Amino acid sequence: MVESNAKSETGRQPVPVGVLGQFDHPDALKRAAAALRDAGFRNWDVHSPYPIHGVERAMGMRPSRLPWLVLLAGLTGIGLALALQIWTNAIDYPINISGKPLFSIPAFVPITFELMVLLAAFAAFGGALVLNLLPQFGHPVFCSRRFVDSGRTGFFISIEAVDPKFDADQLPALLSSLGATHTEVLFDLPGRESYPGWLKIGLLSVCIVAAVPPLLVAAYRAAPKSEPRIHIIQDMDFQEKYKAQTVSPLFADGRSARPDVEGVVALGMAEEDEHLYRGFLDGKPAEAFPMPVTMPMMQTGRELFNVYCSPCHGRVGEGGVTGIISARAVKRQEGTWTMPLSLHADSVVDQPVGQLFETITAGRRTMPSYSAQISAADRWAIVAYIRALQRSRHATIDDVPEEIRSNLK
Amino acid sequence: MTNPQHTHGPSPQTAQWRLPSGARTLGWGCAAVGVVLLALAAWLGNAAGDGWRGFLRSYLVAWCFWASISLGGLFFTAVQHTTRAGWSVSVRRLAELCGAVMPVLAVLFLPLLVPVLMGGDGLYPWVAPEAVAASDLLQHKSPWLNTTWFGARAVVYLAVWVWLGRLFLVGSVRQDADGDVGRTIAFERFSPLALILLALTTTFASFDWIMSLEPTWYSTIFGVYFFSGAAVAILSAMILFAVGLRAAGVLRDAITVEHDHDLGKLLFAFTVFWGYIAFSQYLLIWYGNIPEETEYYLHRAHGIWGGWSLALIIGHLVLPMVGLLSRHVKRRPLLLAFWAVWLLVMHWADLAWLIWPSAGANAVWAVPVEAACMFGVGSLWLAGWLHWASHCALAPLADPRLPESLRFENSY
Amino acid sequence: MSVVSAAYEHEHLSDDPRHRAPLTTPGLTASQVDDIVARTPELPRAPAAWYAAFTVSAAVAAMFFALIGYLIVTGIGVWGNNHPVYWAFDITNFVFWIGIGHAGTLISAILFLFRQKWRTSINRFAEAMTIFAVICALIFPGIHMGRIWLAYWMAPYPNQMAMWPQFRSPLMWDVFAVSTYFTVSLLFWYLGLIPDLAVLRDRATGWWRKRLYGLFALGWRGSARQWHVYERAYLFLAALGTPLVLSVHSVVSTDFSVAQLPGWHTTIFPPYFVAGAIFSGFGMVVTLMVPARQFFGLKDLITVRHLDNMNKVILGTSCMVGYAYGLEFFTAWYSGNAYEQFVFINRATGPYAWAYWTMVLCNVVLPQLFWFRWARTTPWLMWLVAIGVNIGMWFERFVIIVTSLSRDYLPSSWQMFVPTWVDLGMLVGSFGLFFTCFLLFCRYLPMVAMAEVKQILPGAHGSEKH
Repeated sequence: MVESNAKSETGRQPVPVGVLGQFDHPDALKRAAAALRDAGFRNWDVHSPYPIHGVERAMGMRPSRLPWLVLLAGLTGIGLALALQIWTNAIDYPINISGKPLFSIPAFVPITFELMVLLAAFAAFGGALVLNLLPQFGHPVFCSRRFVDSGRTGFFISIEAVDPKFDADQLPALLSSLGATHTEVLFDLPGRESYPGWLKIGLLSVCIVAAVPPLLVAAYRAAPKSEPRIHIIQDMDFQEKYKAQTVSPLFADGRSARPDVEGVVALGMAEEDEHLYRGFLDGKPAEAFPMPVTMPMMQTGRELFNVYCSPCHGRVGEGGVTGIISARAVKRQEGTWTMPLSLHADSVVDQPVGQLFETITAGRRTMPSYSAQISAADRWAIVAYIRALQRSRHATIDDVPEEIRSNLK
Repeated sequence: MTNPQHTHGPSPQTAQWRLPSGARTLGWGCAAVGVVLLALAAWLGNAAGDGWRGFLRSYLVAWCFWASISLGGLFFTAVQHTTRAGWSVSVRRLAELCGAVMPVLAVLFLPLLVPVLMGGDGLYPWVAPEAVAASDLLQHKSPWLNTTWFGARAVVYLAVWVWLGRLFLVGSVRQDADGDVGRTIAFERFSPLALILLALTTTFASFDWIMSLEPTWYSTIFGVYFFSGAAVAILSAMILFAVGLRAAGVLRDAITVEHDHDLGKLLFAFTVFWGYIAFSQYLLIWYGNIPEETEYYLHRAHGIWGGWSLALIIGHLVLPMVGLLSRHVKRRPLLLAFWAVWLLVMHWADLAWLIWPSAGANAVWAVPVEAACMFGVGSLWLAGWLHWASHCALAPLADPRLPESLRFENSY
Repeated sequence: MSVVSAAYEHEHLSDDPRHRAPLTTPGLTASQVDDIVARTPELPRAPAAWYAAFTVSAAVAAMFFALIGYLIVTGIGVWGNNHPVYWAFDITNFVFWIGIGHAGTLISAILFLFRQKWRTSINRFAEAMTIFAVICALIFPGIHMGRIWLAYWMAPYPNQMAMWPQFRSPLMWDVFAVSTYFTVSLLFWYLGLIPDLAVLRDRATGWWRKRLYGLFALGWRGSARQWHVYERAYLFLAALGTPLVLSVHSVVSTDFSVAQLPGWHTTIFPPYFVAGAIFSGFGMVVTLMVPARQFFGLKDLITVRHLDNMNKVILGTSCMVGYAYGLEFFTAWYSGNAYEQFVFINRATGPYAWAYWTMVLCNVVLPQLFWFRWARTTPWLMWLVAIGVNIGMWFERFVIIVTSLSRDYLPSSWQMFVPTWVDLGMLVGSFGLFFTCFLLFCRYLPMVAMAEVKQILPGAHGSEKH
């Protein structure tokens, strides 16, 4: 029994695109498949509503290459994840997190595992689609009304016209002899199977339209602009407050920043003692300390010197490259770096203590002022310690207390 | 499974499902060798100069190794009954027999128990009164870690295991004779309870016998860790029995390559599970970095134990995982048996890694003592296995799901 | 078409080990399976009850999104979170929904590997539930960050700040684990749907239906060569999904357990969280399945045996969760650590004791009813127990998070957590989103995997070997 099924719409002549046979039992299907396999057909297939065990064997199918794809993707995932984590967290942006080593393999395991699974799953899913040639727009079997109506419950074998041994006249009989309960030749208009032109054009235009917004954004970002960027999210970038040097209509002089009221001294800022706070006495650098020099003061001085001064001047005040900041600058060959002075230079040794104090308080050349970080009393302590350091270079045995002199000999 | 209507499968040659007559003699031989080896181990251990401690340390590893196989057998049997498994019926007797060796293990536990009860074996620090007096923590734990209560718990654990081992084997063997379907149903109803009992006893036994070697350390996952090792051990042992017995001409038509495949899959799964549990414990302790917890890994991160730890990661997880991944390996009995032996060795290494550093890592290695203990306890274990195995068929002859087990095929 | 299944109930529940009980109503044919499953998607108009349920759910979901908008505009101060309870309802809801999402992959992947063929009737349903639950879950960590528009900072991309995400943080592991889980679940679900969408395409009569189902069916025609690759892919996704599902909740548990907070830092957490997740997921499957099989006429495919089996899984995982609760208490005492001991005593007797005992009652005590077969096979009863499990598992996360945070090492910083109306509204709202998605799924997609059920019908594969 042979039916013709395709309608002629445009005058083009339908041509045979395949032959379809229906079977009523999985066993009959497997027998017929085995016979077709032995007969050497190539472009043929078995259709069933669910995978039937044993039909792959009957058809002589070779094992799928999917496992290798999945394995490869999984290994790629492992490699990628390890490379990503090690590069970002141990090499490019090394940062100490709760004392963990930069190269923390245990902490890298979870993401490595997840990326392995993710890529392998993509390979399994994508591989299944690619190897099955999906999505597929059409296939000869869909030309059969019968297949569409009962494909979800029936068992079919189809042989496509592209098969070298295809013969629309002989094959229905062959399928019948193999146990098919129904056979038909499938007709279709030539060229219907491939993707239709409108679909291609449609997809292409969707792609083009979809590319417009990102391209616009990219163009906008790349072009230089004098205006502030567009703020979709404000992120507290603009706040209702006055900044320095802006205009305020509230005050007669129009300035938002208000000048200090004349004669007002802020709490704790009445630093009237020139000697203590400036290091000056009668307009000249003071020769003496404003307080008695004691051992605790000297210890404070050493501690603070090591904190604030030693990074540049070195632990013993030699200047040059003995401080780590200086050493780093030299190592990086920073051209603008000015070498810190040695505190043992005659020009420094000869300075009165008031001038040393003044230098710490106000800064000199590239050295900044330390008056904000270090209180006046502590600055004096540092000066005392500097004096001790300087003295150490010119010390004699008489400077050492009697009782420990013997240790030095 | 496959079509339930077809109840008659191929009729098996059940005469081949028994051990040959020489097995019983072999069993007695094993027993004799085992006693000799253990005596040798005790002598060697004492001769090494560390007193009983040198012997007991190795003996505990050996005992735990063989006990974990038997314990795994109980778990395996109970899980198969609980889930109404069909595929495993023809290999289930092997697991039942492993579980039935429990009485032998219970007797062999005495060398570990008696020194504790006599108040001082040098193995468990919390036994020594002076150590307890010196430590607030041990005093706090003394309601749990004291010799009497330790002994009582050991008796309970062993009694439960001996009872379950007997129960699973005897019921199953009786079914061989009477074919009573009701036994299968009764097992199915009872097994969930058995699993609860097993879970609790295994957890606390591993706390008592292994974790308390370092009594200040604790880890809630420890019981699961020990269980995962036991699961690897029983599956390896079953694969070896299945392959070995078929090589000896027994059970040839009862155990097929499909059973090998399934056991291989489970072995793979539990190898990974072991890795998962071991890593979970390590990661949390490593990350938390609390001194009272990290001391455990500190003992195992330096010197010989550092290398040992690394060897465990590679040998107990990475290599078998890669090796067992392929379907072709799991369907080739000899390859599968290779990995089973490999994993048993690794399971031993795992237990030694748990026990030795805690019980005096600095001691000179007593390789001969360890070997004598392992093979001594093993010979006695095998003697027990052969003893019970020679009294029954090696597969449940009349289990209602036997035809299903003989017929099933792995589609993946 | 519908075969009355009540008459077969005794057969489904048969204990006779000589025969495997039928997985569906005996005598069902392949085309009947199609008819039963395709009935709801093919209804020209949904039943009034569906519309009613959908309207309510969608309204609640709309409230959820409104609250999210309110939160984003105002800031997370609208929640009751405080110092030191920095995490409260937000992370509780996250872990709760992620947990719910674990049943789907367990059923579709792990039970598949264990050849539990009864899963074919319920896997589609559970996988859909998984995806919707993970969507609900993903929202909470997203919005709890505060400046949600900067969420992309978590992605590792080269940026002008020359900074990278901190991969040694469990929160980053979470980002990867949960998004991987969502993606893989979606792929797995969709792969399974393809053959069934093809069935709906072939059956469809309307122009739009045919095109839409056709679009997503990708031209599937059920050829043996396609099935061959499909089955391999399905197996691989199952094999990947199995360790994945374990890893996801383990990673979620490390959010807590790698910290040093008493009550959080304990080594049992990863497997304990996984067991709890499966427990709660099955609780949700039963909660949805009992009314759905009744309402949508699926009793021939989802039999009492299925419910029985699921309830057994609930019972088993309930015991595992109980084991972990007990062990935590024991170890808190055994450790000799005063802080650990305090936390656990505080949980049981402190200000949140009501939450703790609700959790114990719902998670450990109530499911013990399932030791009895009548409880496992009585729909209304199991429905109540399953709802109890949902409540209990929500409280488990609440207890872990809030009791530990509100009573940390420093008593001077102790503070109680009290939820605000926004907290409560968002919890309820997330259910609205979940049910909205779920109702749409029930209406438009095949609720049961037809191709898979057809495979397990007697004689589906013939009897000959070739």
